[in-house]
Amino acid sequence: MSDVRSFLWLIPALPLTAAVFIASFGPRWLRRHSHWPCILATAGACVVAFMAFHSVHDGVSHFVSAHHGGAAEGEAAPDPHPHKTAVYYEWFKVGEAGTGHGVDVGIALNADALSTTMALMVTFIGTLIAVYSAGYMRGDEGYARFFAEVSLFVFMMTTLVLADNFALLYLGWEGVGLSSYLLIGFWFAKPAAAAAARKAFLVTRIGDVGLFLGILLLWSSFGHHLDYQNIFQSVKAAEEAKTLDYGLLTTACLLLMCGAVGKSAQFPLHVWLPDAMEGPTPVSALIHAATMVTAGVYLVARCTPLFMLAPNAQVVVATLGAITMVLAALIALTQNDLKRVLAYSTLSQLGYMFVALGSGVASAGKAFVTFAVVAAMFHLFTHAFFKALLFLSAGSVMHAMGHVIDMRRFSGLRKVLPHTHWTFLCGAFTLAGFPLLSGFWSKDAILDAAWTAGHRADHYAAWYLVLWFAGLATAGLTAFYTFRAYFLTFWGEVRIPHEAFEHHHGHGEHGGHSDRDGHGETPRLESPPVMTVPLMILSVFALGIGAALGPTGLFEHFVAHTPGFPPPETESLNWSMMLLSTLVGLGGIGVAYWMYVRQPELPGRLADAAKGFYQLSLNKFHIDELYELFVLKPLAGFTTFARIFDLNVLDGLVDLTGYMLRWLGFLARPVQNGLVQFYALAMVLGMTVFLIALLLKL
Amino acid sequence: MSGLFLLLLALPLGTAVASALLGSGRAAAVRWLSLGSALASLLLATILSVQFAAARLDQTSTDAKSPSTFPDEWIRFSTRTNLLPLHTTANGTVDSAIQFYVGIDGLNVWLILLTALLMVSSVLVSWTAITERVNEFHAWLFVLQLGMTGVFASFDIILFYAFFELTLVPLFFLIGIWGGPQRQYAARKFFIYTLTGSLVTLLGIVSLALTLPQIESQRDPTRTPLLTFAIPELIAKVDALNDKLPKDIQELEQAPPDFEPHLLKERRERLDSWHRVQMWVFLAMMCGFAVKVPMVPVHTWLPLAHVEAPTAGSVLLAGVLLKLGTYGFLRLCVPLAPDASLRIGAPLLGGLAVVGILYGAFCALAQDDVKKLVAYSSVSHLGYCMLGLFALNEVGMTGSLMQMINHGLSTGALFLLVGMLYERYHTRKMADYGGMGSRLHLMAVFMVFITMSSVGLPGLNGFLGEWLVISGMYDFTGTQVRGTLLAGLSAVGVVLGAWYMLTMVRQIFFGPLKEPHREGHGVIGDLNGRELATLVPLAVLCLALGVYPKPFFKAVSPEIRVLAGIADAARRRAAAEQSPVPPRDIRQAATATEKK
Repeated sequence: MSDVRSFLWLIPALPLTAAVFIASFGPRWLRRHSHWPCILATAGACVVAFMAFHSVHDGVSHFVSAHHGGAAEGEAAPDPHPHKTAVYYEWFKVGEAGTGHGVDVGIALNADALSTTMALMVTFIGTLIAVYSAGYMRGDEGYARFFAEVSLFVFMMTTLVLADNFALLYLGWEGVGLSSYLLIGFWFAKPAAAAAARKAFLVTRIGDVGLFLGILLLWSSFGHHLDYQNIFQSVKAAEEAKTLDYGLLTTACLLLMCGAVGKSAQFPLHVWLPDAMEGPTPVSALIHAATMVTAGVYLVARCTPLFMLAPNAQVVVATLGAITMVLAALIALTQNDLKRVLAYSTLSQLGYMFVALGSGVASAGKAFVTFAVVAAMFHLFTHAFFKALLFLSAGSVMHAMGHVIDMRRFSGLRKVLPHTHWTFLCGAFTLAGFPLLSGFWSKDAILDAAWTAGHRADHYAAWYLVLWFAGLATAGLTAFYTFRAYFLTFWGEVRIPHEAFEHHHGHGEHGGHSDRDGHGETPRLESPPVMTVPLMILSVFALGIGAALGPTGLFEHFVAHTPGFPPPETESLNWSMMLLSTLVGLGGIGVAYWMYVRQPELPGRLADAAKGFYQLSLNKFHIDELYELFVLKPLAGFTTFARIFDLNVLDGLVDLTGYMLRWLGFLARPVQNGLVQFYALAMVLGMTVFLIALLLKL
Repeated sequence: MSGLFLLLLALPLGTAVASALLGSGRAAAVRWLSLGSALASLLLATILSVQFAAARLDQTSTDAKSPSTFPDEWIRFSTRTNLLPLHTTANGTVDSAIQFYVGIDGLNVWLILLTALLMVSSVLVSWTAITERVNEFHAWLFVLQLGMTGVFASFDIILFYAFFELTLVPLFFLIGIWGGPQRQYAARKFFIYTLTGSLVTLLGIVSLALTLPQIESQRDPTRTPLLTFAIPELIAKVDALNDKLPKDIQELEQAPPDFEPHLLKERRERLDSWHRVQMWVFLAMMCGFAVKVPMVPVHTWLPLAHVEAPTAGSVLLAGVLLKLGTYGFLRLCVPLAPDASLRIGAPLLGGLAVVGILYGAFCALAQDDVKKLVAYSSVSHLGYCMLGLFALNEVGMTGSLMQMINHGLSTGALFLLVGMLYERYHTRKMADYGGMGSRLHLMAVFMVFITMSSVGLPGLNGFLGEWLVISGMYDFTGTQVRGTLLAGLSAVGVVLGAWYMLTMVRQIFFGPLKEPHREGHGVIGDLNGRELATLVPLAVLCLALGVYPKPFFKAVSPEIRVLAGIADAARRRAAAEQSPVPPRDIRQAATATEKK
């Protein structure tokens, strides 16, 4: 296989070309066919990503075989961290990097275990979602715009994960923020969508400023470099020479974490993600579940060499993750909007990943760091599949129900949407951590990481045990709210909102296939195959990928070979942990079954009994209102003050100066009265005074 | 080629005269003449700047030692003739004069191109917006172009000042005659405010030019130094004094045999007085430039002038005229008063820049008038220019210069868009609008694009400027100011900037359609061909600068390096003064540079 560097650039370039192509020709000429460039480009990028992945994988196997079998004579020892970096182009360069205190940034891509895994995942899921969108978005006025923006997103996301330096990562980082803004506001005439788009951009930008400052701090303190390897190496060198300023490094890590917290919607910057559900559902699946929101996890994983030296930053990461994990799960218990349940579930699962990232403390053994980070990445990987599946299934429900997504308005859709029912169930079982499915393996690894940190860490050990317990409890909550949503949607009596039929009649060509028996006993409103086939493919992956890659160790043994990760050691499966989490998960499912199928009046009674908590959860713990009260209101007050101050005080002073001068002139005006006699008198008087002064001096 | 460059100055002048002579009856002829002239200027400026940049791109040897001052040969396409001879030698040659000295170097090349580009946009956007006294309007517009280009091109300090003041007159009339309801108040305020400031600048400039020969002759009575107003020579003289005066003292301190206490005292006093001169010169120059930038708190003329000015006036005011202030700091203040720039400039102007970034953003957030919002955003953005400039290092000053161009492109485009919106609906109140995205597709696309450039999205131009400016300040070396603190605070402006811009976009272009009430006009159409022609070049350049900034950086880098070198020398002097025995590394660095 040819050098990976010769084709790596195609991964972002293909979607970019598609985006430009669709934006230029979509609205006029492509119209209904605008999805083709997007699908082809994303699929092409997926193929290239697989080639890149394969090339890195070859490197890893080469190392492993050489490591076990001993390197052949006369051959250089293979790199334990196979990676290839290519600088395609000089982006910006001022002065000389390094000792010259300058900035030198290239468009440089990097193929290593972590980046190719992410790129493969993004493009694979992106392709499936692009296909699904061709059905979901059919007939929409902005069809071409949608696919242009999705292509732009794929370009930015692949740039983010493949970037070899922090500046290019930041480009991707902000770029996915832009795509997210454009796609949340896709139906911009809807006030809620317009507001949500702006909110998402602004809230994530608050975190981005932290990331920006963190990058600058790394640049300015560790040798004026921006590429990963140089920064990591100079930090490592400083550590080995015992000259590392740990306070500085912790600050830098916390600043980087701010960016991760914003992008991955962790507490306290999580408020934008639930509102982002105003965007089209494929967008929610692609951007706000599977890929973009995991960028924060990727960033922290990428910076493992930094974080493992800053245990204080790690504990903050783990704690914020745990808060989000529990809080979001509690909110998800009572939400009525199916997509919002899933959105809060995304928050909660991302919280798990952050707990794992924060648990990988070096004091528990260098190998353990890799174990914990790989656990986070593995959950990221499986979560991308099953959460995309759940969102797309919810989208299929929404599509069929005429854009109604409130679970109080429909139920018993098992027979109405048979395919969607099955795919949603697959996703639900996986999310709930049902034994041997994907979510089970990855969640288990995270719990294992927190447990180990709780026993082996030098500092905060007890706290990590608390986090472990929170994770276990959240596993139960997860199983419960997932199956609550499932039972409410697919079980019980068949209820279908009237919009479902209006919608289908309204768009003749849109849902024509379902009109045949639209008013029968159990009307068939199932979505077209272009939507259900991607769902089925995703189902297979969601169910099986965990078992295929987790217990076999394939994922761990590959990703652990990312440059900068300490060498791993094989950890045996923790059977008791698995048993425990299985019990908790099954318990959650059981309770949901009991409450929503066997005793449907029970939830109402419970809500009445625990009214305070129920209201708190339903209102999302009033965090939005707290922001309104403590941030937005004071800010509005302050800006109004600034406006009035500027107009009246600062500008007033200027005007006052003008008036003062005028007034002085007014005082002096009588002197210029135009009488020649007066001027003569003044002259004589002046001369006299002058002469007297002169005489006195003499 | 210097003839071509002179043509760039002569063309606006000729067009101004011609369009004034054409008379008010022939509006169409005036417009076409103006467009032709503006396009010709743009072509000339493009040819010259491409030549300049190409030559710089060819220079591959970047590791060559940067000189300590600006060599004359770096000024390309230059013309240098005596305007007012001051001293003649025995054989009749003039050796001291106020000169007409113009040319192109790295600091002004892009600003001259920007001026020519925005002139085309200004002429096009006035095509239908200006219907009264068309010939006078265009005449003033081209006088303004002459003034702006002249300021950037001048290498004689008196010529610089003359052009600097020349820009006031046309803008005064542009605002006062073709402006909004409060136009006369706005024009008067703008004129008096900026004139007052720049008179103090004149004082500073002249006193520096007059004081330098005095100090030189005190130091070396055998020579009779000549009065000069040429900027490169002034800089060389300042640099020499900065270098020699402390050495004179050292020489006495280290050579005790014929030790003369009164001589040492005299030399110390001379150094002190030189420092005082620098400080006063800096403060005096600051007055005019700070008002022009404008720095908070002397910015209040700006929002008013912007709101009242016709669109073309706003575009040129924001796009070019404000840069005269920052350019003045870069061209004159830093190299002519390096010690004062470090001691006073970095803490005072750096601090005020951060205040301006935040304060301007807060004010912008509170506005309901979209033009005022953009005006306050200028206050905020110019804060970044100043912040990078007074980081006094290569990264920061390059970022500052880039941010000047960025602001010219993106805010110029914003004022154009606002003007186009106003021309359609005759209101600038944001609350009157809603959901215009579904009515004006193309305008919405451009607005979102320019907004992203303005808020610094990577891949577009604004990002690189912000990145370099904040990096530069982050990396500020010296005890005069906490660079990390200023940089950190200024980064908050990045969020606030996105906040007000996106609020504006959401209010006007998103949401359900709500058109302002208007009296019986026809159907409101999307952007037409002429309007696209005004916007597209700016948008393309925003993207081009964002993805391929190499020519920009290469062209400015030698001059910026010299400036950074001058500032570093000032840093070494300041450090040496603070600790009587200089720290070893600084002394080594100092000796290392001396050897070279």
